[in-house]
Amino acid sequence: MISELDLEDIQGNIVKAYGRYGFPLARFVFYRVEDAEKGRLFVQRVTPLVTTSAPWSKKLKVDIPAVAINIAFTYEGLKSLDVPTDTLHGFPDEFTMGMKARRAILGDTGPNHYKHWDSIWNHPDDPTAQSVHILIGINGKSDKALDACYQEICGILEQTGGVTQLKGHRGPNGAEDLEFQPANALAGGTEHFGYADGISSPYFEGCGEDPRYIVGGGKPTGQDPASPKGWEPLAAGEFVFGHPDEAGGFPEAPGPPLFSRNGTYLVYRKLHENVGSFNALIEEEGKKFGSKEWFAAKLSGRWRNGAPLVSFPTEEGANRFAAELGMLKGKVHNKTATEAETQRYRELQLKLTAFDYTNDNDGARCPFGSHTRRNNPRSALEFGVKGAFKTPGALSNRRRILRRGLPYGKVEDATRNDGDHGIVMMILNVDLSRQFEFVQEQWINYGNDFKLANDRDPLVGNHGSDENGRGAGRMVIEGDTNKPPYFCSGIPTLVETRGGDYFFVPSMTCLRMIARGLVDPT
Amino acid sequence: MANQSGNAYALTALFPILHGVPTKCPEGMEGQTHTACVRHLLQDVLRVSEDSPMARVPDTYLSRFCILLDVPYQGAPTVLEHLKSNYLVFEVNFHGTLEPWLAGMWKAIEPEVRSLLQNCYGFDKVTDCASFIDYVKKCQIETTFFFEGSTDEPVAVQLKNLYLKQEFSHFVFANQGKSAAELKAAFEEFVARTQPDNLEAPTWRPGAYQLETATVGRKVMGAGTQ
Repeated sequence: MISELDLEDIQGNIVKAYGRYGFPLARFVFYRVEDAEKGRLFVQRVTPLVTTSAPWSKKLKVDIPAVAINIAFTYEGLKSLDVPTDTLHGFPDEFTMGMKARRAILGDTGPNHYKHWDSIWNHPDDPTAQSVHILIGINGKSDKALDACYQEICGILEQTGGVTQLKGHRGPNGAEDLEFQPANALAGGTEHFGYADGISSPYFEGCGEDPRYIVGGGKPTGQDPASPKGWEPLAAGEFVFGHPDEAGGFPEAPGPPLFSRNGTYLVYRKLHENVGSFNALIEEEGKKFGSKEWFAAKLSGRWRNGAPLVSFPTEEGANRFAAELGMLKGKVHNKTATEAETQRYRELQLKLTAFDYTNDNDGARCPFGSHTRRNNPRSALEFGVKGAFKTPGALSNRRRILRRGLPYGKVEDATRNDGDHGIVMMILNVDLSRQFEFVQEQWINYGNDFKLANDRDPLVGNHGSDENGRGAGRMVIEGDTNKPPYFCSGIPTLVETRGGDYFFVPSMTCLRMIARGLVDPT
Repeated sequence: MANQSGNAYALTALFPILHGVPTKCPEGMEGQTHTACVRHLLQDVLRVSEDSPMARVPDTYLSRFCILLDVPYQGAPTVLEHLKSNYLVFEVNFHGTLEPWLAGMWKAIEPEVRSLLQNCYGFDKVTDCASFIDYVKKCQIETTFFFEGSTDEPVAVQLKNLYLKQEFSHFVFANQGKSAAELKAAFEEFVARTQPDNLEAPTWRPGAYQLETATVGRKVMGAGTQ
């Protein structure tokens, strides 16, 4: 057990979902290091700007800043900055190989293949090589603050030289060569399919976040999921190096210990959303199923307004819940809520995450194959056998991932797939293979763990197509006593990869060591 | 009971491989040892995976051949030990009992069995099916660890079950929402086509390990393999 992490040493995006702090905008900027010494100077100058995980709270008199900055490096990036070979050899294969080389595991085939990615990801001399070295993410409250920060970093780059800012992001109106990837929250906190996003996030020991988020965010204890007794914080070592993980050991990390301690891995993925295909699917299948919104909810496991299907099986109930939650949220944010209203708001907010699938073992409310039940099964892999394992989350506690994403682009025509819109997905974990890649390979692009043969995640799976070019995705929507099961076929691939890579997110100490060339693995 | 679990039988046999160089060896393997010839046969001649000769042996759930070169050394203070010869390890799980299954193996793939085991001590005494069975039994060791991914049914029944399960799921997706009369007609067509009581055909091909190649005539496109 850790009571506290050294939050001042841990980069801010690891514990903070910036969206929760009112940062709707972001720019993701990528660089290639041409000269190691100048590159280290660039890192050295940027380091003081980097946002840490130290809590922002009125109680501690720490204001929320106007921007939050984080920095991360690919394997080739660390190499280009002269991180010693012995340290580099300590990285696991999946990190040294990079995202493109892991495409068979990730399902980045067919339309997801890197030949369809934004040009920034494809090295001009060798498309298979890792092109990007450094990622700087800037999250901001306003475009003005964002731009000021971006200009400051551009200024540093101009002074130090030796580092090239990489262009080549696709953008609106057919743009191919944006100098950074912009991202922006959509009205109502949804993504482009209209689902409320970023609702639940793993809660781990010592993270310093509001303990209320343990409910539904921690690991299940087997007790009432609606109460704090039903959850415990996950071990910090699942998300931050240098601390015990859920297996009771320390996650493997490159040496020296100071290099990896308080760091983690970041998965950056630009995911295009085929909005036209999605809308056509819910329109057509919704008619046959009985209701468009209900069908959309069955794909996800949540209604598009965020209400979980398990707790809100009817559209009417879900809408009533969402309307009240929205109204109270407004009052609480505008500081016009009474104490009773604030209390009620907290209660309702909890309902978004305070559930498990104990009372839905036949999938009648939330299908086994739905997106949220697959990606965060909670205790559902016990399949209703209480005490099947030592702990109800035995098969899922080691597969948790932190998600830090934001939508990008704007949908111009909701009947079409083209254009540039989707989600910049960022995932943080200490073991790319055991956590992110496992979820992607086994839970998104396969179905065996859910007794669903080779069915894939209906929303984000790579479904392929049949000989007539029709989507080959399938999903069983379990029935109940009043409704027969519904078998949905012909699901097209709704989300396509447009770029990405694996990054190492160093601690503040490690950043300074890299910048000064002080990493000494001997 | 060792070796038998329900209707499943697990056989493990260790065939000692002859020392030295064979007088008659596969083409291209002149001057190579018996062990090298066995490995060559396993890797290059007796086609692996779907075209394995073992797929032709009736009632076989799963089989593996490998070569045991020596026992591992655990380091000091354990003693460094060696085997007297290399062994061809044969592991197989099948439906039924040992002697009839071995007789089925001899009948189905005698030439392949001969080509492999002629590199092993004592096989020169094997002249027919009965002496082959005796020979395997002499080399058999007790087995208590079974292959899990199988039911207790004969292989033909299991293959038909898998085939029917797959076909029925296609039927469900194709016919959902139809009227009772349409559904009845479609189901009659399904039964006539799939012949649930006929274990011979249509069914899955023994030895197939990929859905795409299990049945002829239904091609499932993957998500791309690039």
